[in-house]
Parts: sequence; structure tokens; C-alpha cells
Amino acid sequence: MNTTNSEFEPKIVAFVCNWCTYAGADLTGTSRLKYATNVKIVRFPCTGRIDFMLLLRAFAQGADGIIVSGCHPNDCHYTSGNFHARRRWITFRGLLDFMGIDVKRIQYSWVSAAEGAKWADVVNSTVANIRELGPYTEYKKVAEYLDKEDYNG
Amino acid sequence: MSKIGVFICHCGENISATVDCERVAQELAKVEGVECAIDYKYMCSDPGQTIIKDAIREHHLDGVVVGACSPRMHEPTFRRACAEAGLNPYLCEIANLREHCSWVHEKGDATTNKAIDLVKMLVEKVKRNKPLESIKVPITKKALVIGGGIAGIQASLDIANAGHQVILVEKDPSIGGHMSQLSETFPTLDCSQCILTPRMVEVAQHPNITLYTYAELESLEGFIGNFTAKIRLKAKSVDYKKCTGCGACMQKCPQKKIPSEFNAGLGTRTAIYVPFPQAVPNKPVIDREHCNYYKRGKCKLCETACPTGAIEWDKEDEILTEQVGAIVVTTGFNVKGTDFFPEYGYGKYKDVITGLQFERLASASGPTFGEIRRPSDGTIPKKIVFIACAGSRDPAKGIPYCSKICCMYTAKHAMLYQHKVHDGESTVFYMDIRAGGKNYEEFVRRAIEEDHVNYVRGRVARVYEKDGKLIVKGVDTLLSGEQVEIEADMVVLATAGVANCGAEVLAQKMHISYDPYHFFAEAHPKLKPVETNTAGIFLAGACQAPKDIPETVGMASGAAVKVAGLFSNNELVREPLIAVVNRMPPPVFSTCVGCFMCQTACPYNAIEREEIKGRDGKVIKTVAKVNPGLCQGCGTCVAFCRSKSIDIQGYSNEQVFAEVMSLLNQ
Amino acid sequence: MDKLRERAAALLADGTVALVIGYEEGTNKPRPLFCHTAEDAGKLIYDSRCINNLAVYLTKKELMGTEKVAITATIPVLRSILQLSVENQLNEEKILVITVTEQGELKEFAGFAEIESYIADFQLKLSGKEQEIIEKLEGMTREERFEFWMKELSHCFKCYACRAACPLCYCTKCIVEENRPQWINPWAAPLANIEWHINRAMHMAGRCIGCGACGDACPLGIPIQLLTRKMMEDLGPEFGFVPGQPSKNGNALSTWKADDKENFIR
Repeated sequence: MNTTNSEFEPKIVAFVCNWCTYAGADLTGTSRLKYATNVKIVRFPCTGRIDFMLLLRAFAQGADGIIVSGCHPNDCHYTSGNFHARRRWITFRGLLDFMGIDVKRIQYSWVSAAEGAKWADVVNSTVANIRELGPYTEYKKVAEYLDKEDYNG
Repeated sequence: MSKIGVFICHCGENISATVDCERVAQELAKVEGVECAIDYKYMCSDPGQTIIKDAIREHHLDGVVVGACSPRMHEPTFRRACAEAGLNPYLCEIANLREHCSWVHEKGDATTNKAIDLVKMLVEKVKRNKPLESIKVPITKKALVIGGGIAGIQASLDIANAGHQVILVEKDPSIGGHMSQLSETFPTLDCSQCILTPRMVEVAQHPNITLYTYAELESLEGFIGNFTAKIRLKAKSVDYKKCTGCGACMQKCPQKKIPSEFNAGLGTRTAIYVPFPQAVPNKPVIDREHCNYYKRGKCKLCETACPTGAIEWDKEDEILTEQVGAIVVTTGFNVKGTDFFPEYGYGKYKDVITGLQFERLASASGPTFGEIRRPSDGTIPKKIVFIACAGSRDPAKGIPYCSKICCMYTAKHAMLYQHKVHDGESTVFYMDIRAGGKNYEEFVRRAIEEDHVNYVRGRVARVYEKDGKLIVKGVDTLLSGEQVEIEADMVVLATAGVANCGAEVLAQKMHISYDPYHFFAEAHPKLKPVETNTAGIFLAGACQAPKDIPETVGMASGAAVKVAGLFSNNELVREPLIAVVNRMPPPVFSTCVGCFMCQTACPYNAIEREEIKGRDGKVIKTVAKVNPGLCQGCGTCVAFCRSKSIDIQGYSNEQVFAEVMSLLNQ
Repeated sequence: MDKLRERAAALLADGTVALVIGYEEGTNKPRPLFCHTAEDAGKLIYDSRCINNLAVYLTKKELMGTEKVAITATIPVLRSILQLSVENQLNEEKILVITVTEQGELKEFAGFAEIESYIADFQLKLSGKEQEIIEKLEGMTREERFEFWMKELSHCFKCYACRAACPLCYCTKCIVEENRPQWINPWAAPLANIEWHINRAMHMAGRCIGCGACGDACPLGIPIQLLTRKMMEDLGPEFGFVPGQPSKNGNALSTWKADDKENFIR
């Protein structure tokens, strides 16, 4: 548990906004920059749209890591969606940490439509990071509780 | 049971070089609800689109997923193809197999597997897509232009000439703005008023333009195509129907010492006044703050002088309600006063003036009839110093930006001075000369080379008075690096251009955004320079940032074209990807509890209150309602809503939830 | 207490209000009392043992008819009333708020604005026990914290007493009843439980007024109020809000600043 495993292929979901990071990831493609296949992108209109419950759902479904990415402050296509999102993530992160949920497994970033290289870097470093952390067994164990009875205090 | 069609594009070899497209199609065919899965070399080509169309008809598909390039590229193409085959275009989704998969990964199973996952994810999404109809919003083909400077004049004329009604609102008694105050204009040195006043008259006479001077925007409601503007017509105290503009009242007015705004404080005016001789309309208003009658209840000399009985003492402000479809904001800018500069005497030296004041001195219609004379004693200054970047590009003063016009008008001022005072000596202190623009650099060179203006690169540290002279202390940072001290008769500060006072209040009334310096914010710095973030409200001129006349006029015409383009349709068609608050049968009516947290989250003020009433007319509950004209579909409200009462079409809770579940179930 | 009873009886007798919500003596501790007649008012009590947050009743359709209602309000109730009013849940004209000051005087508020200035003098404090648990948690490693909460929350059997006790949980349809999609697993099991409690905490973020009613209501004694309280303690000051003092200018999560500080977004 929690040991580095070179065979381990982490499952990582990326929640990105349509206008900056999705377009930035398109640019990564048009620039033919390579990154790991572990990350799959789900497209949202704006980071402001991303419900914190989706992150919890992702962990419950077995994600080992999550990327949340949108426009840099002041660049939001909708003016302030990313500012609202930032407060949401500050709050959410604080709560998860207080409850002992591993916040290191969620990578937040600002990637603009011009930052194709940055997107590749965010993906690769997150994959490396999650590989280092290992599978998120802790949460998976909780999720699988219905079958086993580990937590019958 | 869904009938989804999956179409995998090879994109020549762009996708198929690293993704096994055939296997993707085979795997997808096994997915529950997938009716057919086909791969083809070029899905976006005509034959490719025909494959999709035929499949829709043959299999009676109720959803389509195309695995191809980025949806940012061909989503419209494929949605159109679906629509042509009779499938609602919003039942078509694109899986990004090129930019997000084949181009960023090496050839191999992992890449093909990822492609399969991406398509499966979109299949799960499209199963939950709903047919959507584009939103049609009726348009009131009447524009409101706020601000009657050159930008407002140009925009009004262009819109009016395109055949649409325009309401032009100006806060001052006359239109004309800053341009009417200028003497000559760079780089041609033609007289500002000579080119401006014909346009002012055209505005007044244009059958499509309704002009309200001495008026301000009181409030604004509504959305693109359907704004309701309330306009405050400030009491002029003069009945313009009766007034002939003869001017007898102004001659009789005993209040003669009021600093004239038009002359930037260098001249005076009366309490009943026309700001300048060429004003449009050329009829006076009473400045109640300075009028003897309003101050002390006695005087009324103007009334006795008026041959037509036009004075209306009891006139009150009126509020006018107008329906308009678009708004052009052209409220202009202002310049910092000399009192902004402690190092130059906080405005206490009469002969330290601003560039705008110099314009009035140099203007033939100005207080000195175009002669350059010192405000203090009326003598002609023999030595004059111009200080560029007075406040601009100075973060310490809170103005880090370049005011853009000062380099050019300072060169012009020095030139005009040399033309008028042949034995005079002029010095310009500058940081850099920014003369980008057609014939601009040549103009500055002319000032230096032909008119022998002395340009010194360096900043002026101090200006102080000694024996009736103004001592200007600076450093020549370009040549000698030594201290320069000039005994000047007059100093002109090219003070920073700043947002008009109250600009942020106006912005808040209109729900448009503004930058930290209170200049109004354009929707995109490059591609949407005249749009604001509020659809239907456009910007032109220096209210957005300092700019010169050609740029202002260009921007005004640009904004006018946007308005005319909007008005060229009877209805506005918008993408239906917007938020919607749920409605359900009684007794719940809607799960919305009306906390209106979404209102604070919405960047567009698109959330309204709606009262749900029973048969007896009593309000049962007040719930949120999204105005489809205002909503831009960011979905911030959706993530906010605790009871999930608000959802966004195209990215609904069910859709995104299914996507996440699908991605991780594999 | 006599003054309170007299006043309540008078209000009911002359028809100023149709209902007075207060406390009466219960089996072990005070419990809510709903006085419809002047005689009922004789049972009213008010002391430091009255901890139920009565504000929870102010959003109940069954109680809030067309007539005016009076409520005897402790400090947490006053805070709740303000937050509810910010969230458009109360009709100011239909509610008469009465409190007993620290000096034992009866105080009737003319309006909600007066409540705002009144509670500004009362600071919100964590109880000694709460403080102790927080310190204990802060001293733990992340894994230990996770273990702690899993142990605590695994007992939860989703009775939703926490939701029922909270005056700010007034949604007609709670997210746990939402099934398209099923955001939260409906059964009582560790994962489904933490999902529920994270949701409750996130939904209370910036809104919780720190009365602790949720924790008091929990039949298993899980310190769930800490989840909402901790966030309030941390976030309020960071975003410029005073915990326990609802503001008309929105709350911590419904507003933003361009220079909000974070250190985890790259």
C-alpha cells in the first residue's frame, strides 16, 4: 500500500473548462507534444460549473487522481466563474484536509488556451505524482465497504 | 432504449496512425444502446457526412457521437449534418480523438483504449442529451448612445444612417465632448471645431436621432434586444420650445465669475449659460448651484431679459423611459488636474497648467482668443516647459498605464507655441516618445527639427516659484546625465488621462465590468474590443482606455456596425446552452427554495425572481428564474445550487455525472 | 421569566401574534413550546439550558401561516434569523423577535436590522470540548484524521436528525433525495456517510452560524458540528466575514475577491 509501483497505471480524470484549458489541451495536440494516456478530459463550460460532488464521485468510482483546470484569474470567458471556483476549491480543500482525505491527489491549475506545453506538463507531473503516491486504496476500501466489514467500530 | 450511432474518423492518418480506429468502432458496437458503429477515412467530408445522415435515417438514431478532431473544430459541421438528416443537432456530441488522444500519445493499445473510453464517455452523455431549440429573442431596433463626444456623435450618425432610431444622451448642456475643446489636431493641425461642429449639427438635424442633452442614464434593466432605459432629464430651467437662443439672458446674468468648464477653468461663464458659441443645442441652461435666484430667492434678471418668456423656474427633473435594443457607451475620459502633483506645487502656481488648459489657450475661441498668455498676468511666456508623462506610467501615483495621447499632443502644443510665439523657447521633458500611428513619428520629428523644440529625455523632479519665475528641475538622462534647471514662464503638464468620475457607478448601473482604473472593460482584449461582457452593450472611445480621435472614431464606427448587425435581424438566435430552474407540478411547483445564492454567483445578472401564484392570485412561493436573454451558460449557478434546482442544458447534472461514472467504470 | 410569560400572554390575548414559539420544561431538559393561547404562555421558560435552535420552526409552512408569530430567541436563534433573512426565507413583518438580555431584561426587536447590531457584541466561541477535538485532530497525521472520521462516521445511520435540527437546512428537496443523478449513495455505509457529511458541510460553508444544533441532535454523538464549524472558523476571516455574523453582502462562498489567497493552484 502506498508504495511506488512502476506497474501501477493511475486513473486520472481531468475536469476542465471549455474556453481555456480544453483549448489549451487542443493546442498540446496541434503542437504534437506528448503526455501520458492516463488522463481523460471531461469538458465543462466553465470551472464555475464544476460541482465538488463530481470530484467525490470520481474518487468513489476509483480515480487515483483528479485534475481541475480552467482559465487564469481575470481571463475567465464568463468574467468571474473561475473566481467563484477558486473560493469553492479553497473551501473544499480545507474540508477534505480536515477530514483526512488526501488533497495531494487533486491537482488544481490554470492553463490558458495558449499554454499547450503547460498542459502537457501538468498532466505528466500529475501522473508522476500519483504514481508516486500509489493507488488510492484508502478511499477505495471505504467505497468497497458494502462487501467487507472493515469499519464496524 | 437509446439508439446511438457512433462514427469514428481516421482523419486521413492523423487519428489512425496511433489509434486503431477499426477496433474502436468494433468495441463501441458492443456498448449497450449503440445501434451502429462505423469508421471512415474522412468523416467531415461530404461522403463522410452522408454516412452519418444515411445511418440516422436507416437506424432511426436518437443520438450521434462522432469520434474525430476537437469539437471546437467540427462540432458545427456534424451538428448541421445531423439536423439535415432530421436529428436535433443537440443530440450530436464529439469525442476528441485527435487533439486529446492521437496527437498526444504514441501508437499502442493504451492509446486505442483511451480512445474507446473517450467515445464511450460521450455515448453515455448523449444518451442523456435532450433535443434543444435555439432561443429566439425579439429585438427592439432602437439604440441608446450614452455620451455625446466624438465617439457618441460618430456612433449615433453611423447607426442612424443605417436606418435605425438612435437616442443620444449627453450629461452636459451641449454635445461635442473633449474634442470641441481642442485647438488644432495632430498630425495635420486642422482645427478641431472646424471638423467637429458640422457633425454636431448633423446629429441635431438627423431625423433618426433623438438628442437629450443635460441628461443622464438613471437605470437600466433588461437584456440584449430588450433593454429598458430610464433617462433623467435634468431641469434646464429654460423651455427649449420657446427659447430662440438669442443670448439676451446671458448678458443680463449678474453671476459672471463662474469658472467655465469648457475653458478648463481658464475663463468664466454666467449662471445661465451656453457652454460655447457653437454648442448644439445652442440654447442655455441655468446652473442652479450658482444662480442667484436658486441660491437666495431673488434676481430673475434673465426672465426680464428673455423676449419669449422661456425661463421655467419651477421645472423639475423628468424621468423618461425608453425601450432600446442595444447600447453604445461613449462616456469618454478626463484628465488629472495640476493639484494631483505635490512636486509641481499642488496646483498652487497659476502658470502651471494642464495640457487641456493649453488647448484652450491655443484655441481661437478660447479665453485669450488663441494667444498664448500666462493665466497669472496675461503676459506672453517666452520660455515654456512641457512635462510629458505627468502621472502616467507612474505606479507610485497609481497610474501605471500610458495615457497614449500625451506624446502627440505635447509635440503639437510645442509646435503651436513656436508658431505663435516666434521668439519663444520651448522644452519638452519626456520619458519615451511614443508616436505610433500614421504620420505621427514624422509629426514629432517636425516639431524637433523644423520648429526647434528642445526635447530633453528625463523626468522633472520639482517645479517651484522663485522671483516670479517657475524653476523646473530635472535630469537629462539621455545625453549628459546632469541636472537641468530651466527658468520658465509657464509649465504645461501632460497629465494622465483617467476614467470619468462616476464611471464605476455607471458601469454598475449597466452591469458591465470595469478595470482597476475604472475604464470600462471590453469583452476580449483582441477579438472583442467594442463588446462588453453584457451582450448588447458596446463601447467606443476613451471610456475604455485613453485613445486619440482617429482611434475613437474607428471604434465608434465599429460599435455602430455591431449594433446595425444586431438590428439587421428581427430576432436574435442564441445557443440554447443556458441554465434553467426546474418547474414541477403542485404542491412543490419547483424545488427552488428561493435563497437566491445563484443571484450573487451569476456574472450576468441573469437570475430573476418569479412569483408563483395560486388560482386566488396569492403568492405561493418566490423562486429563481433564468432570463434566457442574459444567461451566457457558464453554469456557476448550477454548481452553487444546494437543492440542484437549477441545471444547465448541454452540460446537465445527469450528463456530466454519467460522463464521470462512465470514464471510471472501465 | 415572569415578564416573558406576561408579555407572551398579552401578545396572544390582544391578537398581536397568533403563536409564541418558546421553551418549556421537558423530562430531562427544556423542549420547544408552541403557545397558541395566553394560558399556554404560563409554561414558558428561558434559561441557559434552552439550547434547541427554535429558528428551525420559522421556515415551517405548518406554523408560519398568515398571522404574526413571536419567537423567544437565544443568541444562536438571533444569528439564524439574520442568516435566514439574508437568504430570503423570512417575512420580517410576520415575525416578532423577543430575547432576554444578559441583565434579564426583556427585549423586543423592531426589525432584523436591530438584531444585527445587537449580536455584534457576542463573539462566537468553540466550546472547550470542541476546541479539544480540533486540537487533537490538528495534531494528527492525515491518515489518522481519516481514520478518526471514518470511525466516527461509520456509526452514522443517516437518520438526518442533523438536517432536521439545522435552521438553515430548509430545502424542499434535499440533495440526498435527488436521484437523477444519484449524487449520494442512499444507504448508510462509510462512503455514503462521508458523502453526506461533506455535502452538508459544503452546503453550510459560509452560511453556518455555529449553533451546534446538528451535533446536539446526533443520537450517536458524532461531533459533526465540527465539520461546519471548522470551515467557518477558517474561511470567514480569510474571506473577510465574521463567523456568526451574517452579512447582507452575501457570504463566503457566494462572493469572491480578485486577490483571494491560495497556494495550491499551479
